[in-house]
Amino acid sequence: MSDIVSVSFRSQLKVWKSVCFALFLRELRSQFSDRLGLAWGFLEPFAFIFGLSYVRSLVREGDAHGIPIFIFMLIGMVAIQSFLQPFTKVASAFSKNKPLYAFRQVQPISALLVSAFVEYTIKVIVIVLAMLTIYLLGVTFPVHDPLLLFLLFHLLWIMTISMSCILGIASSYLPEVKKIVGVFTRPLFFISCVFFSLQDIPVEYWHWFTWNPLVHFVELGRYACFESYGDRGVSLQYAFQFTLIVFFFAVSLYHLTWKGLLSR
Amino acid sequence: MTIRLINLTKSYPSRLGPQYIFRNLNFDFPTENNVAILGKNGAGKSTLFRMLAKSEYPDKGQIYTNKSMSWPVALATGVHPQMTGRENTRFIGRINDVKDLSVYEEAVQDFAEIGKRFDLPVKTYSSGMRARLVFACCVNIHFDIYLIDEATSVGDPKFRRKAREALEVKAKEAGLIMVSHEMDQIREFCTSAIIIEDGQLNYYGDLEEGIAAYME
Repeated sequence: MSDIVSVSFRSQLKVWKSVCFALFLRELRSQFSDRLGLAWGFLEPFAFIFGLSYVRSLVREGDAHGIPIFIFMLIGMVAIQSFLQPFTKVASAFSKNKPLYAFRQVQPISALLVSAFVEYTIKVIVIVLAMLTIYLLGVTFPVHDPLLLFLLFHLLWIMTISMSCILGIASSYLPEVKKIVGVFTRPLFFISCVFFSLQDIPVEYWHWFTWNPLVHFVELGRYACFESYGDRGVSLQYAFQFTLIVFFFAVSLYHLTWKGLLSR
Repeated sequence: MTIRLINLTKSYPSRLGPQYIFRNLNFDFPTENNVAILGKNGAGKSTLFRMLAKSEYPDKGQIYTNKSMSWPVALATGVHPQMTGRENTRFIGRINDVKDLSVYEEAVQDFAEIGKRFDLPVKTYSSGMRARLVFACCVNIHFDIYLIDEATSVGDPKFRRKAREALEVKAKEAGLIMVSHEMDQIREFCTSAIIIEDGQLNYYGDLEEGIAAYME
């Protein structure tokens, strides 16, 4: 077997880059090919996040533990929508790109990462739009700990992508998983402290909520913006460890199953 | 210069337990001339084909080759119906690391002879036009071996002749492996045959001999 063609790491990386770029363009072209185009991609999630936050702030004026209700909701909504929306969408990247696996250069992980990148970009644009509206509405506030906020956001995305990877693999082996997961993720919207604060709940019931890493992300996100809000009951360590575990689980699961994914 | 299959085992899971297509298969796949793969439905033609192209991997064993292979060119592979012919061409070009995309694009448009409709979504194409596009995309990239899965069968005689001529030009340095059920098409393109039967491969250096054995 001396005559195996050796391929350098650099050239492999180059091919991988061009594959990802091609997939990215394809994703944009196929997802936003109607007349509304690319704008709809981020206007719709923005309208949802902004609309719900704004309506909530109209219903109940004042503040929640020192944060204006509108900002309070906005932080929660951005966090939860950075998980819920991409979660199922990115997970379906494995099956959606199946016809492309005929090209040996296209591997499922590229499809997953590209899809995640598209979702991530959309969310970043949504956040920029949200900041712009905050500025225009004149409800600006100094961010207490921008670095923590930045860290949390990206940690959350690593968790989202890892969990999408796990869901994607699981549902390509057992299609039923997707239906069941759909039932379980819907309540997450209401138990992840988006509409309320952990501080509103008596301490003896906290353990019913704090198992959920999203609670930690949401509450810490608010703490990162307003120091006075406090970080009682949540810990960065928990969020970090949870992310680390799902990340390694996703990576090992993918490593074990990627050849199977091609033909599933 | 061959493709070497070593201890190849491939199965698909099913409700009745794993269905084995190949079990510990050892075979040297000749590539000097154009080879047709013959076999009954479900014998494993397409599976073997996809494994050669590395769009699928065996459970156990290895496929060794020092040749560059095309993707398995079938009617629908890699073509997105919402995207235009040009966009699809560029996608395939990018994936295969084509150096100059605009030259490639032009060559494909020229070869496929679909004119202005190159800029319309592929879903508006007839199956013949789709086959032309896919074949043109493939033949304009240099590979050592072209894997073609009935993609040419829907073309009209004129296009088929063009396809064959293009492959003949390439035949000096490139080989062809083809799956088809239409014997006249196989006679048109191939000179030798491999028959898949019960998970075993048999090579026939002479195509007619192979076809005769297959027809029995």
